[in-house]
Amino acid sequence: MDVLMEGKDLRKHYRTGEVEIEVLKGINFQIFYGEFIVVLGQSGSGKTTLLNIIGGMTQASTGELYYKEQPLHEIDDQELTLYRRNEVGFVFQNYNLMPNLTAYENVRLAVEIAQNPLSVSDILREVGLENWSDHFPSQLSGGQQQRVAIARAIVKNPELLLCDEPTGALDIQTGIQVLKALQKLNREYHKTVIIITHNVEIAKMANRVFYLKDGLLDDVKVIEKPLCPEEISW
Amino acid sequence: MVMLRRKTWRDIKENFGVYLACIMVIALGLLLYTSMSIAVESMDKAQQDFYVETNFADGFITVTGYPENKVNSLTFLPGIDQAAGRIVKEVRVIDQQEDSNRYLKMLTLNDANAPQINQIQLIEGQLPDENQPEILVDPKFLAANHLSLGDSIDVSIDGNQVSLYITGTAQSPEFIYIMRNAQDLYPSAEEFGIAYVPLSTLKALVKEKGQVNDIVITLKPGVSFDSVKDSIQAELKPYGVRSIVPRKDQTSHAILTSEIKQIRTMTKTLPVVFLGVAAIILYTMLRRLIEQQRVAIGTLKAFGFTDREIILHYLTYPVVIGTTGGLLGGLSGVALSFPLTTMYKEFFALPGLKSEFSLKYLFFSLALAFVFSVLSGVKGSLDILRLEPAEAMRPPAPGTARKTLIEKFTWFWQTLSSQAQMGIRDVFRTPTRSLFNVIGIGVVYSLMTVSWSMQNMTDVLTVVQLEQVQTYDVKLQLTEPSPTGAVKFAVAHDPGVSKVEPVLEVPASLRSGWLKKDVALMGLSEESTLYNILDKSGRRLEVPDHGVLLSEHLAKSLNVKAGDVIYVESPLRREPLSQKGENLLVTGVVPQYVGLNAFMKDTELQRFLRQGEISTAMLIQMDSAEIGSMKSKYQNASNVSSIESLKDTGAKIQKMMESFGFTVWLLAILGGFCGFALIYNASIISLSERKRELASLRVLGMTPREVLRVITSEQWTLYAFGILLGIPMAYGLSMSMAQSMSNDMYSLPADLPPMALLGAAAGTAFSVLVAQSRAYYKIKSLHYVEILATRD
Repeated sequence: MDVLMEGKDLRKHYRTGEVEIEVLKGINFQIFYGEFIVVLGQSGSGKTTLLNIIGGMTQASTGELYYKEQPLHEIDDQELTLYRRNEVGFVFQNYNLMPNLTAYENVRLAVEIAQNPLSVSDILREVGLENWSDHFPSQLSGGQQQRVAIARAIVKNPELLLCDEPTGALDIQTGIQVLKALQKLNREYHKTVIIITHNVEIAKMANRVFYLKDGLLDDVKVIEKPLCPEEISW
Repeated sequence: MVMLRRKTWRDIKENFGVYLACIMVIALGLLLYTSMSIAVESMDKAQQDFYVETNFADGFITVTGYPENKVNSLTFLPGIDQAAGRIVKEVRVIDQQEDSNRYLKMLTLNDANAPQINQIQLIEGQLPDENQPEILVDPKFLAANHLSLGDSIDVSIDGNQVSLYITGTAQSPEFIYIMRNAQDLYPSAEEFGIAYVPLSTLKALVKEKGQVNDIVITLKPGVSFDSVKDSIQAELKPYGVRSIVPRKDQTSHAILTSEIKQIRTMTKTLPVVFLGVAAIILYTMLRRLIEQQRVAIGTLKAFGFTDREIILHYLTYPVVIGTTGGLLGGLSGVALSFPLTTMYKEFFALPGLKSEFSLKYLFFSLALAFVFSVLSGVKGSLDILRLEPAEAMRPPAPGTARKTLIEKFTWFWQTLSSQAQMGIRDVFRTPTRSLFNVIGIGVVYSLMTVSWSMQNMTDVLTVVQLEQVQTYDVKLQLTEPSPTGAVKFAVAHDPGVSKVEPVLEVPASLRSGWLKKDVALMGLSEESTLYNILDKSGRRLEVPDHGVLLSEHLAKSLNVKAGDVIYVESPLRREPLSQKGENLLVTGVVPQYVGLNAFMKDTELQRFLRQGEISTAMLIQMDSAEIGSMKSKYQNASNVSSIESLKDTGAKIQKMMESFGFTVWLLAILGGFCGFALIYNASIISLSERKRELASLRVLGMTPREVLRVITSEQWTLYAFGILLGIPMAYGLSMSMAQSMSNDMYSLPADLPPMALLGAAAGTAFSVLVAQSRAYYKIKSLHYVEILATRD
């Protein structure tokens, strides 16, 4: 399998007042095209920071990060923006939809900056919201909102889909619907999906699981036979 | 970016009240800017065009009598291009009412062979025939006296009663603003008008044959009036030169020019104030919007929107507001310029004065609004650049809460309710925003003081002038300086007269270095009680035996103070040219609100003039019931030019002050609106920022009114600081207003009475209260359970 992304000795520290906190303490990893990866770890283990670095939302303090063999650690803010624009889709725990745009318009917003976007209607149909496109976020359930967020992330047709606790705010039934949508994207559209979560059950869906502990990659586990969302519960 | 534009539109719709308030503030500022700019430009253009068209004179000379056939020889004097002689007579209109007070200034029309200076423009009817008792009058006199063409007016000329037929109306560049004299303050078309009569007609009616008493001149290009004045004075001295006035001091021209200048200043300052307030509102609003949409910004960044795209998105808010306000203000300003110009036409008879649709000012107002809005928008949205997407996704760190300086006064702090403590702390938690709001309130407050201080100015002018300075009942003005004794004796024996005091008022030029001012030099008797000179605190001052007292405005114009020496000359002084003036000591500087005078003791002035004991007017204290009969007795007397009762003067001052009234109250109302918009915006921002805090207080069981106290405490604190800052600003504004509105006819006192400070504080407080009442309804309709259930 071809390597999509490679991180070498990634470190990240923040300074808050007098104190310097090292959140990532030297992480090495490889991510392959079309993989479904789940990153597990306790609160404060550095999961979100790692996801932010992978997604170009922030840069590592030291270390090297390559995406399609291009060094992300050497590029400037403008190029990083282009990387996010063309290669990455984000899904957040709190959906972060624009409250005064409808479901359709929220998805369409991403289309306006994409190089090679998919059809908004098709994507909404894929996530089962074709009948809800005229609704504002406040008129949708949590699960529906998260599916709009997923639709918004994938309509740009990105290579990499990054999800930060995508089911964290949802009940189990709705959570499973969302996971099904993500697995479908991975299996049918061959998108590389990375999910960070507390939920160990979700890890059963992955090709590989990264265990983060105290800013270090503690373990990487390969799952031979990933489960479908319907097969897991929490 | 269709979707982002849609987002902008919906964001604006959600908080439409605040955006609308801001649009209105911008629109009001630009309404004033556009309407006044168009009006002033039209006035300026109409004035210039009319002057060129009618060959308006550069100098105005009055003499006792100058041979008609010598007038042309004045052009031999270096610098003089053309000269035309006229007969000017002020005549009283005779009618049935015994105390009526109507005068006509009669001017002879240019002879066909003479240079055409100050040509008239025929408005209606036809020119009067030579040698016929026919006249043209100014249109305002005709209208105000309900006269029509073909009507006749009876006047008394040099003791002869004559009926004159009106053949038409005409306008001269000399009488665009018609006032009988500078002391009149306000035009009264009913009582005073201009009549134009053929030279042959008037010549036959006056005593002086073959002579003119008024000469107008034009200068060769590039020649200054001052350089020819001395030679004119030398040439005309033997003929009794009374005054030599350059165009810049000619009453109508001076008033029109000063009005144009004043409006110009206002078009430059007022819009800046309004746009400044609008910029503060836009800035604080945008800052809040950006703080509120922090996660949305993070999301947009995460999706790959560039900083430029996001900043442009947030700039669309001020651009939409600015453009809407600019367009609204510009268009309504263009519309307002029409009635405004019509209003000016009421005062200034400028034939070509008319307003026109102006694309230029519409564009300027749009550009102004755009620049102000974008600048405040850029300042407000630059923080977006500093925000890293990962950081933007996290909720902002809680604001730093530390004890404020006020809390050191524990005795005071502990008397405050918790809501008040929360509100006050919040003022210090967002210092930049608070500072902007304080400045805004200061500006609004100082704008409001103007209304009250103008009210005070009116009081000072009317009360001081009529009750303390001019304590006479009637002023009998003589046509020329006359020996005091006989006139005083005659008047003193008229029925009802209890006291008569002669006054000597003569034209004089006062010089200090290169500064020069032409004024009326007033000689008062030592025991004068009917005209008083007061000091700043209103105490009566004795006229010094020697030297001269100057009014404050005059001292300022000449840049002199008590103890300095000025050079004084008067055309009435009987001396060889080599001693045409004298150095006099300035013995004091006194406030003078109406008129622009220098004062001397009458005996000292008589010594200076070397004409013996003469006077130009009698101040009379008398029984008011007899005033009417006195007027009828003297109305035809050839040596009396006017009889004016104090009541007439009072009415004129009152009328002039009323003409300020509109502007002043408009300023107060607009200031109040700005205050409302500013505080309303601050309330809405506080409400949205503290939604959760306030919802918690509601859940705790507080009533909406109790919750409102958090917001009101913050605002009253801002208000208090705003007023503190506003007081010095108000003093500055009052001083500059007084300075810009004062002229040679009146000086406005610049002091701010406590009533102005208190009144404006109350006015500002009122706009704060109105804004708070809006906030109250917002709190009342707060869905607190829902707010607490949702995450930020």
